[in-house]
Amino acid sequence: MRRGTEPDRELRADEPRHRRVLGAVLCLALLAVLLLAAFDLPDGTQPLPQMARRALTSAMPDYRTTEPVNAIVYGMRAMDTFGETFILLAAVVSVVVLARGPEPRRGFFGEAVAGRKEQPSGGESTDSGERRARRAEHDEQGEGDQTPRTPDEEPVGALAAERAHAMTVVVRSAVRVALPFLTTAGIYLAVQGFSPGGGFPAGVVLLGAVLLVYTAFGHPALWLVANDALMEAVEVLAAVAIILVLLLGLPLAGSFGAQWMGLTPLETMRSGGTVQAFSLSELVEVASGLIIAVFSLLGMRHEWGRDREAS
Amino acid sequence: MIVGNFVAAAVLFCLGAYTVTTRRNIVKMVLGLSLMESATYVLVISLAYRNGSTAPVLLYPPPGHTMKGLAHGNVADPFLQNICLTAIVIGVAVTAVLLTIVVRAAQHYRTLDTDEIRELTG
Repeated sequence: MRRGTEPDRELRADEPRHRRVLGAVLCLALLAVLLLAAFDLPDGTQPLPQMARRALTSAMPDYRTTEPVNAIVYGMRAMDTFGETFILLAAVVSVVVLARGPEPRRGFFGEAVAGRKEQPSGGESTDSGERRARRAEHDEQGEGDQTPRTPDEEPVGALAAERAHAMTVVVRSAVRVALPFLTTAGIYLAVQGFSPGGGFPAGVVLLGAVLLVYTAFGHPALWLVANDALMEAVEVLAAVAIILVLLLGLPLAGSFGAQWMGLTPLETMRSGGTVQAFSLSELVEVASGLIIAVFSLLGMRHEWGRDREAS
Repeated sequence: MIVGNFVAAAVLFCLGAYTVTTRRNIVKMVLGLSLMESATYVLVISLAYRNGSTAPVLLYPPPGHTMKGLAHGNVADPFLQNICLTAIVIGVAVTAVLLTIVVRAAQHYRTLDTDEIRELTG
């Protein structure tokens, strides 16, 4: 295939007509099939499946919770949720591995010393062609004579070298007001013990709070949360906690994921027993996993490949 | 009424499929996949609904009902809600993986155009 130059690429900015037509025909055919299926789906009058009915009736006696969805996620389907948690872990590991940058320097390698030995004149070549090439490269990088020699000579209003970290005072104030409510709501979803979903949605709400801070105040405000080593340790600890909660069911209650903790009265924080312990561990796992994934993505360095025109 | 949800899910799925099949920009393809994923959430959560049902929460039952009575009454299917709940979180993580691959591909090939990325053309 011919590699286009920049103008060629601009000319081909729109999708080719045949591709759009073919795609439209295929998707309309798919839509027709799906619509036929949609009109044959249950219409809301059919009774609940036996499993759903059993989950509803056993949530209170078996798990002492008023929230059947939690009883299913962290109790009856604990094994499935366990597997899904490790799919999440695998996705986070994939992001971390793909986003990983170059290894930081950890020692002295002696390049400068070796270079001085090679070029005793201090790097200044006597070859006029090489001097011209070095000067051209220097100018191309914006370090030529037109660049101010010191930052003090920069004209007022010129863009600084660093990107702006924070947003305006209006946004920052709004985030300061909203953040405590959002964070409290996120933690409450899991800690209360009888709110729908528990740790899964709570973890995502906490990620939302962190991203709000990132957007309004920038990366420096999140020095603790955006710490890869710390968050990776937290995530692994949460994964270990999940394994322990489920594994202890084997010796203490006869099966993996069985209810082995003492059940407290309804509508209390520990009313779900292992359901609540699993939910809280899931909160930490989901929040830390998604924070690692998002910040790995945001922190990906600009390791650009060689320009094809230059190569 | 519920058929409207199924139709909306089908249309949303097809819009996502159209984006994936016709766009060459990888970011748009990832957005298309997310749209298809969202369509499945709409479908699953709609399948959980029963006519006139309440949420599967055994707390604060409507007047005339008890908490235990609600468990035998008309509520939405909690199993399908549970599947949707976990699918959303996994979907976020999978989208993060896809976007990371997109960034790496863009850095490596200096383009987001799948036609330009020769290795994907087969």
